[in-house]
Amino acid sequence: MNHRLAQLQHATRRHFLQQSIGGVGAMALAALLEQGGNPRMARADQLAPHAAANPQTPRPPHYPARAKHVIYLHMAGSPPQQDLFDYKPKLAELNNKDCPEKYLKGERFAFIKGKPQLLGSPHKFAQHGQSGQWMSSMLPHLSTVADDLCVIRSMHTDQFNHAPGQLLLHTGAAQFGKPSIGSWVTYGLGSENQDLPGFVVLVSGDKTPDAGKSVWGSGYLPSVFQGVQCRTTGDPVLYVTDPPGMDRHVRRQSLDALRDLNEMQLSDFGDPETVTRIAQYELAYRMQVSVPQVMDISKEDARTHAMYGSEPGKTSFANNCLLARRLVEQGVRYVQLFDWGWDVHGESAATDLLHALPNKCKQTDQPITALIKDLKQRGLLEDTLICWSGEFGRTPMNEKRNNSKFLGRDHHPHAFTVWMAGGGVKAGLSYGATDELGYHATEDRMHVHDLQATILHIMGLDPFKFGYAYQGLNQRLIGPTSEPKLHPKMLG
Amino acid sequence: MPRTALLALIAVCGGLGLASGGLGFATAWAAEPASPTAAASAANPPAQGSAVASTAPPNTSPAAAQKIDFVRDVQPLLKQHCYECHAGKKHEGGLQWDQRASVLKGGDSGKPVLVAGDPEKSLVVRLVRRVGDDAMPPDGEGTPVPAAGVAILTRWIAEGAQWPDAAAGEPLKPKHWAFIPPVRPALPIVKQADWPRDPMDKFVLARLEKEGLRPSPEADRYTLARRVYLDLIGIPPTPAEVDAFVHDSRPDAYERLVDQLLASPHYGERWARMWLDLARYADTQGYEKDNRRTIWRYRDWVIDAFNRDLPYDRFTIEQIAGDLLPSATMEQMIATAFHRNTMTNTEGGTDDEEFRTAAVVDRTNTTGQVWMGLTVGCAQCHSHKYDPITQRDYYRLFAMLNQTEDSDKDDERPTLPTPLGDSSPEVAKLNADIVAEQLKLTQDTPQIRAGQTAWEKHLLELSDKAAPEFGPWHVIGPFPAANLTAAHTTAFPPEQKIDLKANYEKGKLKWISRPEWKDAQSQLLSKASGAWYLTRTIEAPSAMLIQLSLGSGHGIKLAVNNQLLLDHQIVRPAAPNQEYVTARLQPGTNVLLMKISHSGNDEAEFFFRADQTGLPPELSAAIRIAPERRTTRQNRELARYYRQVAPELEPVQLRIAQLMQEKATFLAAHAPTTPIMRELPPDKQRKTNVLIRGNFLSKGAEVQPGVPEAFPPLPSGAPANRLGLAMWLVARDNPLTARVLVNRFWEQLFGTGLVMTAENFGTQGTLPSHPELLDYMAVETMDQGWSMKKLLRRLVLSATYRQSSRVTPELLSRDRDNRLLARGPRFRLEAEMVRDQALAASGLLSGKMFGASVMPPQPEGVWQVVYNNNERWQTSAGEDRYRRGLYTFWRRTSPYPSMMAFDAVSREVCTVRRIRTNTPLAALVTLNDPVYIESAQALARMAIRDGGSTPADRVTFAFRRCLVRPPRPEEVKRLVDLYQTQLQQYRTDIEAAKKLIANGGALPPGTDAAEMAAWTVVGNVIMNLDEMLSKT
Repeated sequence: MNHRLAQLQHATRRHFLQQSIGGVGAMALAALLEQGGNPRMARADQLAPHAAANPQTPRPPHYPARAKHVIYLHMAGSPPQQDLFDYKPKLAELNNKDCPEKYLKGERFAFIKGKPQLLGSPHKFAQHGQSGQWMSSMLPHLSTVADDLCVIRSMHTDQFNHAPGQLLLHTGAAQFGKPSIGSWVTYGLGSENQDLPGFVVLVSGDKTPDAGKSVWGSGYLPSVFQGVQCRTTGDPVLYVTDPPGMDRHVRRQSLDALRDLNEMQLSDFGDPETVTRIAQYELAYRMQVSVPQVMDISKEDARTHAMYGSEPGKTSFANNCLLARRLVEQGVRYVQLFDWGWDVHGESAATDLLHALPNKCKQTDQPITALIKDLKQRGLLEDTLICWSGEFGRTPMNEKRNNSKFLGRDHHPHAFTVWMAGGGVKAGLSYGATDELGYHATEDRMHVHDLQATILHIMGLDPFKFGYAYQGLNQRLIGPTSEPKLHPKMLG
Repeated sequence: MPRTALLALIAVCGGLGLASGGLGFATAWAAEPASPTAAASAANPPAQGSAVASTAPPNTSPAAAQKIDFVRDVQPLLKQHCYECHAGKKHEGGLQWDQRASVLKGGDSGKPVLVAGDPEKSLVVRLVRRVGDDAMPPDGEGTPVPAAGVAILTRWIAEGAQWPDAAAGEPLKPKHWAFIPPVRPALPIVKQADWPRDPMDKFVLARLEKEGLRPSPEADRYTLARRVYLDLIGIPPTPAEVDAFVHDSRPDAYERLVDQLLASPHYGERWARMWLDLARYADTQGYEKDNRRTIWRYRDWVIDAFNRDLPYDRFTIEQIAGDLLPSATMEQMIATAFHRNTMTNTEGGTDDEEFRTAAVVDRTNTTGQVWMGLTVGCAQCHSHKYDPITQRDYYRLFAMLNQTEDSDKDDERPTLPTPLGDSSPEVAKLNADIVAEQLKLTQDTPQIRAGQTAWEKHLLELSDKAAPEFGPWHVIGPFPAANLTAAHTTAFPPEQKIDLKANYEKGKLKWISRPEWKDAQSQLLSKASGAWYLTRTIEAPSAMLIQLSLGSGHGIKLAVNNQLLLDHQIVRPAAPNQEYVTARLQPGTNVLLMKISHSGNDEAEFFFRADQTGLPPELSAAIRIAPERRTTRQNRELARYYRQVAPELEPVQLRIAQLMQEKATFLAAHAPTTPIMRELPPDKQRKTNVLIRGNFLSKGAEVQPGVPEAFPPLPSGAPANRLGLAMWLVARDNPLTARVLVNRFWEQLFGTGLVMTAENFGTQGTLPSHPELLDYMAVETMDQGWSMKKLLRRLVLSATYRQSSRVTPELLSRDRDNRLLARGPRFRLEAEMVRDQALAASGLLSGKMFGASVMPPQPEGVWQVVYNNNERWQTSAGEDRYRRGLYTFWRRTSPYPSMMAFDAVSREVCTVRRIRTNTPLAALVTLNDPVYIESAQALARMAIRDGGSTPADRVTFAFRRCLVRPPRPEEVKRLVDLYQTQLQQYRTDIEAAKKLIANGGALPPGTDAAEMAAWTVVGNVIMNLDEMLSKT
């Protein structure tokens, strides 16, 4: 390596260290020092054209983190909280009665027309564990770990259509173009495994979320922080496989030639981007091995597969839960699961409360429970925050679209249930409550932005300060207003 | 619109020169108040800290007899409790408490803030008393006004709210540099006088000399040629093209090359790509279902507009308001699709008005971003915190864009048929064939005459039994479909074969008999979306014509005896007499099939009535008269009627129907309908209100269309609508439009704009690196008639552009981002260029321009979308696999993955600036994507065939196809080494070699698989070189 090259690599490394020493704050500071710009405005975006040699290098949080990893289980379509966690005997008592007028004034629904009737849950509820969490009989496995859960029954949101609801939940805004929470977290903290993407997305239920890939997009953050969808059929990451007829040996030799030629270019032109390019090709080479390895669950023992209900070679939520554990074990920062099929309108047996919902519960109850237990037995649960939710709630009323005889519920923004487990949250806690019909969240109301603030906070990022300068504004995940807040009572 | 008229319009705009502000940039910037840091969150506004603590508490209790004094008693209260959000640069809710005029005018809510003499009618009193839902300062922000303070305020208002002139405050004026129209700056004096080639170079050089730096030498011709080819047409030169330039010894060789490239049709393709990000152009509607949208005629319009160098002012006016120009042409209508690229939400249960409003919001924000580099979007919910755009200003702009017909309908109406081929030879031939067949219907042969005689005899025998009999209806449906178009155009099974015993959709759909359905009344099908089929038999005692009156909500098709007689995709409630159809019945059983396709929340229904069943009365009378005694007219009408139904002429009728169908199919394929902007008629125009917090259901004060008050007014004579808005944008005194344009082109060529934040020229944007240069070019561009080609020509001919991009460590540490321009640009190519370049270098690139978007290969399973699994990626065949990147089908929720890895954008909303990243995922694309492997194979084949005989010659050939310049000896050596190693290895593993070159076509003569495989590896390496992926 010639002198010029060594000098450049040093410069690049120093530049990167400047960014990483103090975490995000220092990153911004380094940018400022370099720009000599207006010191009141951190211009992290100006770093983008010079993504450091490895933007995924771990960075310290703002304050000590309570968890190092996040696994977000998104039940896309939105499960009915009244049939799973939010026990409402009064609603059962008033089953089939008209919904009181006071609730309906000024309300808009996606599908309900005219005067809807209340719908008590057709499923049985009981209290579980020391904590006495109310859970429905459709969750026989999860109820065995009730004392590990922090169940928040007072969630509410602003959106009642799927795409905007999912965008608000994952990006903090109902419009397209904002970074997702996984991007924010990896932008802020980097990741602990340099051979795997820091933000991995796994999809089951045969369909991607309604809002498409924007729910794991990086918006205005550098795209290196966007979620990488790992697939369980085909290439686990797009284009990760060498072309047929090119083995690892050939690839290594061609990358060696590529590096030598790039270094010649570097010594001629002196562009530090060339240094970065060489590094990224080497990372790509390592990812070609590490990604398929971590995605291959066939080597897991039979006991583990029995625990999760996973089957190698299939696309299933159970497989994705097992993969989530493997990814976290490898140091991946943020794992996002989407499972489609929870949109229980009751138009037919395929979307009703008596057939479709028990079926979805059956697909997910065991693997989710296995994930919690497995992380716990491996000592990973205390470092991992698990979060389970839909994008909004469902109505306490029967939807009865076209006079359907099947029981179902419409979209509902005013109340839904989220549960969290693991690092940073109080285990065995029932937090917040809804009114007697479960129509509105009433006690300890928690907005979607509060949930996002909570996740950032648990990861050691100050949700109120953590931002990115774009379009002349300090953009934040939780939006520009002063309304979002943390809920100290539920934090562990 | 005739050019003269347009020029007149523009001349009107240009007539209002604004006196130039004398404020220098530095002064303007220094005057800015400190901006919040990233660390100062909105949740924790900067504490008022010592300033407040040291302020004496306001005079809390002036003697009852003493009159309240504004400066002594009221202003301190305002300073403490209101100024934080309502003074200086801050004007939350459009209100500034340090300005009397603002308070007297009132804020965005439209309610009177201050009514002198009447505290109870003054909003401010109610708010500070904190009695209702709203309070000021809001809960959690600032400190509430104490009771004593409320009393002072109330008394002051009751006493007449005297507010002395001396304390009335300054009206808000834009002082920020970018809000002052540019004026031509004097050219600076430079020492190195022989360096500048264009006056603009002097600005760059003056700055370098001030910094004690020297410009870099001019790049060599190979580098310069590759740079300018990529910049102007987006593809590299072939070795022959570059050699011609390198060996051109004429002094103006480079100018000639630039002019040749600007005249190339590929110029429009490369620059349209840039514009399409701004226009958020895509081939789908966005949101949940993300259905297809046919709007590629707009993309082609942009390409064509660049190629014919449509001046930027006209380019602007036609896209924003082409439909409002007098006698707008079809092309000008297509241009308005710019603002129809907003998303359409077809998710079930969504409120069309909500998403129509969202589309108008997008148009307002996009207009601000694209033309003025302003983030007006902030003012949707609250007055802009930093730039002089109040919430009221925002909704005045919004109001100008709020008068179009479109309203988030699934079928994208209003749309315009935008035919390409109605005068084409194909259509002319079909028309001639149809006429020839129709002539056969008038022929008079003995056979037909005999047929007519027998028919008349039969009718006479039938007498009053001549009417046809209609059987009962049978109905099946709805067959599910994603939207109306899918429902209407998909041929579900009954369309192929009517089988009343069959069932479909896993048994969910069966034929149901409806004997109770009466004709001549509307029949309700259901509310669900999809397609219904209705069938019934008609027993005809003889050949006859019947007339049917039909109605449908929504789309309708009708066929009798398998002949399609009606096909109308439309959205409307069903009513009688919406469609008239004449059907030919054969003697015996006829089968009628009707299809109703429907989408939306209203009801699917239809109307059916048979009007004329049998001979018209005058013909009924005529057949009772012997032929020789009939009038000529009676004979002629009877003959004509018979020929419509004659069994002898059935083949001719079928042939005509078939030809008509062929013509319709051809025209549909060559006449896509394009969504357009169309203004509502005057009596249907919408009122626009301020939307509180941007919520479409909370309406505040009504506003009239207009432009932000801090900017020059609409040009005199310009209407307060989209046309006026467009004229205002390109008016000479608009301070931003020309600067933003120049900056955008600068950014494309140099990698970073003179204003780095191309999306924000407001007070929070970055200052220009060369303010005088930006203004000089902005003024020059306007003076030269807004020609974009002339602007580009000057930029690429400049000495600044021609510099070498080599950089020393010293310069790098001094100016890492090249803001000083002491060197030429070097940065990674954009996504489309990465693709186009690989295809061009390997000879695969198709030169085909325009037309519907194409689907080059992408990995299986990338398209998986909720509710819409009907849409499939159908890989294009033939040359459409190798079209330029900008023709790739762009699905917003799942864009083409290999281009996304190179930072292409989803096009859900306007993107002003793409971020450039350098990631392993991008490396995997160019290493492994089959498109790039195929390119490497093609390059290998070409190198073997045309690259000479020695490995060194072939390496040189392949290298030059890709990188243009000749390789240096050490580069050749390294690649030849790689080739030799690979050759040896593949010779020992010929199966692997065969796999690597599979699908790469036949082996070149005299070559074995191992050689071809080794060259493919070499090609793959060259195509992944940093230099290949960069503009240098």
